[in-house]
Amino acid sequence: MSLKVSDVSLILGDGAQRVTALDNVSLEARPGELVAVLGPSGAGKSSLLAVCGGLRTPTSGTISINGTEITSVKPAQLTEIRRERIGFVFQQSNLVPSLTALDQLLLLVHLRGKKPNGEDTKRARALLDEVGMSARVDRRPGQLSGGERQRVGIARAFMMSPALLLVDEPTSMLDQNRGKQIVELLSQECHDHSVATLMVTHDHSVLSSADRVVNISDGRLAEAD
Amino acid sequence: MFIAIRDLTFAKGRFLLMGLVVALVAFLVTILSGTSAGLIKNNISGLIELPATHIAFEYNERPSYRNTMVERYMWEGWEASPGVQALEPMGHTVFNARTQRDEPLEITLWGLRPGSFIEPEVAEGEQLGPKENGVIISRLLADDGVSIGDTITLDRVLTELEVIGILDEERNIGHMPIIYTPLPKWQEATYGPPGGPPPGEKLPDILFDFVSVVALQLEEGVDIAALDDEFETTTLDREKFYAASTGYTEEVMSVGMIQLFLVVVSAVVIGAFFTIWTIQRTKEIGLVKALGASSWYLMKDALGQALILMLISTAIGLGLAILIGKGLIEGTAFPFMFESGMVTSSMILLIASGLIGAAFAIRQINAVDAMIALGREQ
Repeated sequence: MSLKVSDVSLILGDGAQRVTALDNVSLEARPGELVAVLGPSGAGKSSLLAVCGGLRTPTSGTISINGTEITSVKPAQLTEIRRERIGFVFQQSNLVPSLTALDQLLLLVHLRGKKPNGEDTKRARALLDEVGMSARVDRRPGQLSGGERQRVGIARAFMMSPALLLVDEPTSMLDQNRGKQIVELLSQECHDHSVATLMVTHDHSVLSSADRVVNISDGRLAEAD
Repeated sequence: MFIAIRDLTFAKGRFLLMGLVVALVAFLVTILSGTSAGLIKNNISGLIELPATHIAFEYNERPSYRNTMVERYMWEGWEASPGVQALEPMGHTVFNARTQRDEPLEITLWGLRPGSFIEPEVAEGEQLGPKENGVIISRLLADDGVSIGDTITLDRVLTELEVIGILDEERNIGHMPIIYTPLPKWQEATYGPPGGPPPGEKLPDILFDFVSVVALQLEEGVDIAALDDEFETTTLDREKFYAASTGYTEEVMSVGMIQLFLVVVSAVVIGAFFTIWTIQRTKEIGLVKALGASSWYLMKDALGQALILMLISTAIGLGLAILIGKGLIEGTAFPFMFESGMVTSSMILLIASGLIGAAFAIRQINAVDAMIALGREQ
């Protein structure tokens, strides 16, 4: 099992500001499975991604990625786990403005303390080719459309062969047609690379590409009909 | 520095502007270093070239060349002491004077025994010798039109001196050119009556028992304090006998203070720039952290960026200052001289201060939350 979330709760704030962002959430995702988490704004989607990605420590419960429990490790180890095992696809693509499409992928190699070599460049180019960006590898984010940026973000997420892919509202900045194409691409990549994928979205039109859909509301999960 | 180098070319307008400011500061610091070295040379070149390890003054807590009188028993006492390799009684008096073309001069008359170890080598003419009113002048006076055979008359005492030798370089003290004369002539001009002794008379011998200071060459380990105690002198090493020249310490401190302000300004400007730059990059920093970068990785990257900026800009400012300083300022009446040690230390200080400013700003990276990558506000 690539991702196992067991009885996770996340409580934010204190006193009158106290909010239960996640309430006893349990979830699993197998390698190559795309699980879509559907819910309205404020339902706890991003909180779920944050705890699964080691960006927030849950108040209770456990999360394991490929058998490694990430809820009890130190912050420095969490950073390493994010670097080694987790791929992210963010809303609005979130690319580094000064890097070309190719460099966005090579950055991950550098983050591992390694100078990118020919093999790394070859892999990065192959991934960009897979997402249809081979002709625009030397373009910076400012020279790319929203859809193209999102494609680069997807290629980047697969660069370090992650065990888990976390996808945050991938269609939020795209029109319906392009949004659908991007999620289809994500689904295909997730299957081709056998990566467990958790995608949070509020967009019903992209659910057909998911292997499984769960609903989230007020921090609670429920399997969709 | 994967991101740092790419940021430099991506945001080149911003970094160019910042680089220009740093280059300007480096330029000013270098020019000020040149001015400082020039002022030092203009003030105390005579002392710098003096082949003495120490100078003994009359006992005084704050000795100065203008207010000292050493008696014969003092220098003879020193002369007989162990560890004294060489010794020369020396006179120092500031005079207004006139050239034979009646041009006014402000000079320092140094009296010394002809052939002594402190007598400089002339480039033209003769060394001090039998001619009792013969003098050696430095290059600056020669450049002003004084030549061998000319007479220089000291105001007030009306002593006439004849130029017999010219040095190849500038020798000053207290920003005044030094004129070297035999010690008896100096003693006559300093302590004797105006116009010299009346015809047929000699000056009293006691006048020749006084000088201003004693130039010393001492071996290592001489108990200077004990000898000072015994002979009622205050003996200073080279660094301190420079400082005994009028205005020297104040000038060095003033220029040093301006340089220090510039270095502080540089640190503040660089710090402010990197503070704004880091704030502008908050989202990007959060993103890279979410992708698995540690704060240390990002801080190293940003500090490397600051180092590249400082090195390139400082080199440009330094190069420009050397070009302008050497080409347009050095050799003019403006006191200016490049002293590589001083320029190097100023540049190192400038770069270090810039890095400190940057480091202070960059530590904000630590506080950036990776959650920003998920669209959360910092």
